[in-house]
Amino acid sequence: MPTLPINIGSYLVNLCSALLLLTCFAIVAQRRLMACVDLFALQSVFLAVTATLVAYLTGIHHIYLAAVLTIAIKAIILPRILKKIVRQLNVQREVSMYVNIPTGLLTCGGLVILAFFITQPIVHLGFLLTQDSLAIALAIVLIGFFIMVSRLKAVTQVIGFLVIENGLFLAATAAAYGMPLIVELGIFFDVLVAGLIVGIYTHQIQEAFGSVDTSRMKALKE
Amino acid sequence: MIWPIILLIATPFLIGVSGLVVRDRQTLDVLHCVQAGIMMVSSMLLVDEVSMSGPVSFFYFLHADAMSAWFDLVIGIVAGTGTLYAVGYVGEQYDRGHVSIKRFRQFFMLFDLYLGVMLLAVNVENLGIMWIAIEGATLSAALLIGFERSKGALEAGWKFVILSSVGIALALFGTILVYYSSEQLLGITEEALHWSKLYEVGDQLDSSVMKIAFIFILVGYGTKAGLVPMHTWLPDAHGEAPTPVSAMLSANMLTMAVYAILRLKILTDQSVGTEFTGTLLMGFGFFSVALSSIVLLLQEDFKRLLAFSSIEHIGIALIGFGLGGLGVFGGIWHLLNHALAKSAAFYGAGLVLITHEHKFIARVTGLLREHPAGGVALFVAGLVLAGMPPFGLFVSEITIAANAMATAPTIAYGFFGVLTVAFATLLFQILRMVLGMPMETPSSTVGPRCRAFSTAAIAVNLGALIFLGLHVPDGLHNLIGAILPFFHAEGEYF
Repeated sequence: MPTLPINIGSYLVNLCSALLLLTCFAIVAQRRLMACVDLFALQSVFLAVTATLVAYLTGIHHIYLAAVLTIAIKAIILPRILKKIVRQLNVQREVSMYVNIPTGLLTCGGLVILAFFITQPIVHLGFLLTQDSLAIALAIVLIGFFIMVSRLKAVTQVIGFLVIENGLFLAATAAAYGMPLIVELGIFFDVLVAGLIVGIYTHQIQEAFGSVDTSRMKALKE
Repeated sequence: MIWPIILLIATPFLIGVSGLVVRDRQTLDVLHCVQAGIMMVSSMLLVDEVSMSGPVSFFYFLHADAMSAWFDLVIGIVAGTGTLYAVGYVGEQYDRGHVSIKRFRQFFMLFDLYLGVMLLAVNVENLGIMWIAIEGATLSAALLIGFERSKGALEAGWKFVILSSVGIALALFGTILVYYSSEQLLGITEEALHWSKLYEVGDQLDSSVMKIAFIFILVGYGTKAGLVPMHTWLPDAHGEAPTPVSAMLSANMLTMAVYAILRLKILTDQSVGTEFTGTLLMGFGFFSVALSSIVLLLQEDFKRLLAFSSIEHIGIALIGFGLGGLGVFGGIWHLLNHALAKSAAFYGAGLVLITHEHKFIARVTGLLREHPAGGVALFVAGLVLAGMPPFGLFVSEITIAANAMATAPTIAYGFFGVLTVAFATLLFQILRMVLGMPMETPSSTVGPRCRAFSTAAIAVNLGALIFLGLHVPDGLHNLIGAILPFFHAEGEYF
């Protein structure tokens, strides 16, 4: 059981959640594709640290397992797959976007405020330890969406998706002290398979279109 | 009796895995005929069982109550005929040398997996595992849509992967919120996600959390159900996927997504009241019907035409569920008949696509003369989808419309308006294809094996549609009686 006083624990969890959010902004501000992948890996490490803290402070052991899986899948395996794709496809290493970086950062700031606004009526229900994390988690999910819609390249859209997953995981761990183990395992499995499928798709898209620029795919419409 | 539910769910997984070792086509064909038979028979047995003696459960994992049994029937029957059709359709591609035996085996492994996870999703007890199963359906569907690897298929597949992943992520956030609220009452255990436990404590769940959770889940699973404005993946995926997959997407996956939304609606209603969820469902439903009714008229591609018709019909069913009361009966009856009719229409369309090798509505005429099986399938399914009596969709639409008139007249007028446009346009497009003299000679004919399998699939679907139009079996009657209380609905149906 915890040896730390509850309010220090709470500060630490909040600090880690805030670091997660900060890496989101870093991803939005980053131009180089490889660096985006690294930042995602870093974010996953912060996520694992948050999960470990929550596990330690609450004494719920299966969250440790989730933290280990986060490191293995999201900080090591998926970034490797993504980097391999980036190298193989020889895609331009620069990220191309629909909106420029300052506008993107401002939008993300707005999304954070929106997330706090949405969750404001329900945070009081949560556990004392992790009350503010729900809002931060929703903010990360929303920024993930923003990354998905504002980028042109298939690979960065995938990073957006993985950021959303990280936000969801933070919500589950911090707000609800982790989903039941079997559900958690299933989610990890699905994320891993999703990563592989996206890898297959980017490869095929590159072969068929000669590029992974998704803005070239516009044959199908009304 | 536990085995119908076990057989129903285990068969596609087992036969799918057998594709890893079975290497010849003949054996695969036989295995899949067996699978089709088992799925159809066991789904009917399950309905019988549940309607006679109440819910069936298997440990704490599977739990089939009346709701699950209804969706098992829809998905089980259509998955059965879909398997038969796929054996014919993909077999034809193989005979023509378009797919290798390796790709043939891959297709059936994915296809069986896809059917299996959908059946799992509507029977599991745990809300979180339902999410995992639906995500499994998304991922297997993603590979099936892009199966032909043409530019169009890849574009459609990519769009599907991205949009569905976003949708499913939102649904997971909603699920986490439900757990966040329920674990305050039930404790940090797996049971806090079990439907039966949740329904016991539903009225004590915090109403503001449930409202936010329902919105996330409606938008999330609504993306998979093809609700406007999250529908943009749907026509592309239905248009570009191999035709058996299009039929399964439309008849099974959309239905499964509606099931997930309904489960959460029942739970949310307990703490929030029916008005909140009802209004949201009617809103999304109405916009889906309105948009698709216009697009149907402009459509030039017959597979996309059927896709937009699916958006429309899911919208109609949601309006029924949103209205409550007998509208709920209209909704579930609508889903069953729509699944049968839409898959039959896709089976017919697939035959046209194989022989003509294009998808232009304008260049296809006189199908009744040219293609007995495909023409009849499109013609009868077209009449059903346009809501002609005596078929089931006529009954459900009249019920929903009458119910709307009684409870919310303003909605009813709008509903009548868009419905009329939708049916006129659909019927116009379908009749244009099936009547008259053939204008274009088909570039090829289908082989006898493909013709036999697809005719069998079409015959089962059309037979079921006609049967349900003329007679309602006791089992289904009792099952509807057991579903209505979930929605606090009552009234005389049939």
